[in-house]
Amino acid sequence: MAEIVIETRNLTKVYRDFWGRQKVRALNALDLDVRRGEIFGLLGPNGSGKTTTIKLLLGLLFPTSGQAMVLGRDATDVSKNQRIGYLPEESYLYRFLNAEETLDFYGRLFNMPRQLRRQRTYDLIEQVKLGWAKRRQLKEYSKGMTRRIGLAQALINDPELLLLDEPTTGLDPIGIREMKDLILDLRKQGKTILMCSHRLDDVQDVCDRIAILHQGELKELGRVDALLKVRDVTEIHATRLSTQACEEVKQVIERHGGQVLSIGNPTATLEELFVKIIRESEAHPGRRIRADQHEADESGNGHAGDAQRTA
Amino acid sequence: MEITDWYLKSFDEWLRVGPINGLITIVGLFAAVLVLGGLFALLRAGPKAAVISVVWGLREALLDVARLSPRRAWAVGLLTIKESIRRKVVIVFAVFILLLLFGAWYLDPASVDPAKLYLDTVLTATCYLVLLMVLFLSTLSLPADIRSRTLHTVVTKPVRKSEIVLGRIAGFTIVGTVLLCLMGAVSYVFVLRGLMHHHQIEPADLELAEKTWSEPWEAATPRPPLRLRTTRVHGHRHFIYIEPVAKPAAEGKVRSEYPAEGSISTEMEAGHWHSFEYRFQRGPDGRARLTCTVGREEGVFQARAPVFGTLRFKDRAGKDADRGISVGEEWTYRSYIHGGTAAAAIWTFEGITEDNYPEERYPQGLPVEMTISVFRSHKGDIEKGVLGSLSVGNPRTGETVLVSMFPAKEFAVDTQFIPRKLRDKQGRMRDLFTDLADQGRLEIWLRCEDPNQYFGVAQADLYIRAHDAPFWLNFAKGYLGIWLQMLVIAAFGVMFSTFLSGPIAMLATAATLVGGMYAEEIGRVARHELYGGGPVEAFIRMVRQQNVTSEMEPGLRTTLAQMTDTALEFFLRIVAAMLPDLGKYHFADYVAHGLNVSGDMLAKCSLSVLGFLVPLFVLGYLFLKNRELP
Ligand SMILES: Nc1ncnc2c1ncn2[C@@H]1O[C@H](COP(=O)(O)OP(=O)(O)OP(=O)(O)O)[C@@H](O)[C@H]1O
Ligand SMILES: [Mg+2]
Repeated sequence: MAEIVIETRNLTKVYRDFWGRQKVRALNALDLDVRRGEIFGLLGPNGSGKTTTIKLLLGLLFPTSGQAMVLGRDATDVSKNQRIGYLPEESYLYRFLNAEETLDFYGRLFNMPRQLRRQRTYDLIEQVKLGWAKRRQLKEYSKGMTRRIGLAQALINDPELLLLDEPTTGLDPIGIREMKDLILDLRKQGKTILMCSHRLDDVQDVCDRIAILHQGELKELGRVDALLKVRDVTEIHATRLSTQACEEVKQVIERHGGQVLSIGNPTATLEELFVKIIRESEAHPGRRIRADQHEADESGNGHAGDAQRTA
Repeated sequence: MEITDWYLKSFDEWLRVGPINGLITIVGLFAAVLVLGGLFALLRAGPKAAVISVVWGLREALLDVARLSPRRAWAVGLLTIKESIRRKVVIVFAVFILLLLFGAWYLDPASVDPAKLYLDTVLTATCYLVLLMVLFLSTLSLPADIRSRTLHTVVTKPVRKSEIVLGRIAGFTIVGTVLLCLMGAVSYVFVLRGLMHHHQIEPADLELAEKTWSEPWEAATPRPPLRLRTTRVHGHRHFIYIEPVAKPAAEGKVRSEYPAEGSISTEMEAGHWHSFEYRFQRGPDGRARLTCTVGREEGVFQARAPVFGTLRFKDRAGKDADRGISVGEEWTYRSYIHGGTAAAAIWTFEGITEDNYPEERYPQGLPVEMTISVFRSHKGDIEKGVLGSLSVGNPRTGETVLVSMFPAKEFAVDTQFIPRKLRDKQGRMRDLFTDLADQGRLEIWLRCEDPNQYFGVAQADLYIRAHDAPFWLNFAKGYLGIWLQMLVIAAFGVMFSTFLSGPIAMLATAATLVGGMYAEEIGRVARHELYGGGPVEAFIRMVRQQNVTSEMEPGLRTTLAQMTDTALEFFLRIVAAMLPDLGKYHFADYVAHGLNVSGDMLAKCSLSVLGFLVPLFVLGYLFLKNRELP
């Protein structure tokens, strides 16, 4: 079994007001293990304690009781930060710096030599596609751009462990896709990622294991595929199947005592459509869609794939 | 100007008491922090956890301070500088220039002591501006980071809290330093240019001089010097005297002539003089023509480096006394000696040797400067001034020799030279260094010779003006003083901002600043040195419109008031011990009065500022370390 990177034992956080009176029990006796090389998703509705958990893991907050260990050290130990990257909920960056200065500053905090700092800054700005705006102060950035530079800053030290707090909010669908690809890519490089989100599709797409929090309590924990598997439903994907063939398949199923729930052409998700269009537009800049072409698309066989789904 | 003990004490003398008091305060402070932290943990988690957390906390703190990386701290410092620049601190400089422009309008170079006025103005303006700027910057910046959570992203990097605090303090210091240097350079030019002026010779005098010069003089009496007056500029004019050269002539008469050319200087006026070069030439028509130039002003700005002595008194009966008498108007700084009696003020100087005061450098003898305040019990002769006498004495043998009798110059610095050779009452020649000084120790006795008049003196009122330091250097030291104050304020600002919100931190720092300016007075209240009792008693007197010296009527109320006062005074004493006495680092008065700020003074100030910086840094670190960043 892989090495445990994050470990919380009975982790509890109670927010108190100035007078020490209890305000909110944001996290209650959380036990979590995150293993090296996996993508772990923290799920939960708003106010369920996801951000609180991440802040406890970073040592920004001190636990009311229980313990959080990160990379084998106590969460409040600064030296663990050497190997950690953190993308906050919103990118909390200095708005008077530009992209290059931002990355340079965080690089300095890692005591990186100048040459390496330059290199990393250049690479990361390219990676998050901000080359065109790298000299602009962050206060002029749009939300998504800020998010991207936030991500770049989290990667400045090539961290082993990434803590991403809602990595996809504020990004356009392309950005979301890129972010997901990046996350998967990072896992390929052997990094461990803890992310929290309430966008289920994101989590579903990338996470190996998830934990679901509600009102500070752990409600569910396990592998995504195992959790999502609907054991009494079978899925068949086929292509180039005539209507008649479909009918036959249906009969076969019924003969075996099964029940056909639906047969039809699947629709792509809007996300897939959007991503496809933008990718095409990037490949052929300047091409515009004409109204008649649009209509033709609509009446004819559209973007929906030619696969048929039987369940 | 009152010169404090702080200025008079040498570094070595101060080193014996100052740092120890400081250390006691610091150790006390940290003991209090430790105890409070322990108590807090005790209440929250019980005794065992408390002990563990205190020990652990100490270990962590030591590690964090010991492992501090200058490079990371510098990253934070650089960020701070950028932040300040992008927040347009340059505006402060613009405001400063505006102030100077207004100042140029209002400052009158014809006033009594224009150099003092100009210096005081620029130094004070710079001081206030820079301190205010640092106050704002240092207190608002960390809280803004915490509120906008930009600090989250920073502290999740391997940077230590100690580096953040240090980097912040350093960043603000650098910003302030650059501004201060700019302001200093501009001020220097401003002051110099403001008082720069040129005189001409009055045309009427010019003609008269030409005529007089041509006239021969042969008489039994010496010829009076040739007098020229300059034009009036900046509200003053100078006189120039060309001394005649006498040659014996026939029949016991003297023939006097004024030299045809010379390079002399004008008389002193308004605190300065000018060089003067002239030349008489006879034209083809036989008439004399005078060509001359009055040079730039000199001696406007000074940095006298005084050597002070210790002061003791003799009372009217000639017995030793620690203090003179009080005439009731000023109650501590000066004390008075009674005229026409045996009362005397005696300064004892050290290091009065031929080696220290060689003839080449001090041809006229030992230069002594004094400022005497006169208290008149009767009008006397206002015109003549009250008569005083100066003697030197041998501290071992008790021998004294009269140096001079003089009318006291009130409100002005009087310079006297003590010659190398002095004639005593018996007519013997006495040598200043071998006969009167005892191994370099020499006494200077001041007496008031007019019966029933009084001289008021303080230790710093009479000193040996051993040499002058370069003025520009002293000016720079004035700015160094502001720099030290700025450092203290930046450190307080950052320290408060690690645990208070922006506005509150600003208030706290401002209170420290104001408290620091009145630290001296607060200390006096705490030490019960003021008339009218402690705070509560004084308040009761005020409400009842009672005299400050009359006894309070005994009773429960008075006892209660006085007990409260004792408690308050104890508290005040703690406050006073922790307040930075900013006045000590404020050299503006010395610079403006033309007194050199000595190296000892700088050493004392730097060390005591360090005594604030280190604990403030540690406190700031502790607060930041132990707070959550939600
Ligand atoms: N600084 C704070 N002071 C008091 N209560 C807080 C604070 N921060 C969070 N809380 C409370 O703690 C609980 C958990 O908050 P948290 O931010 O962890 O939720 P979250 O799961 O991240 O929600 P979201 O999806 O909206 O980001 C909430 O009830 C919230 O009100
Ligand atoms: Mg959140």
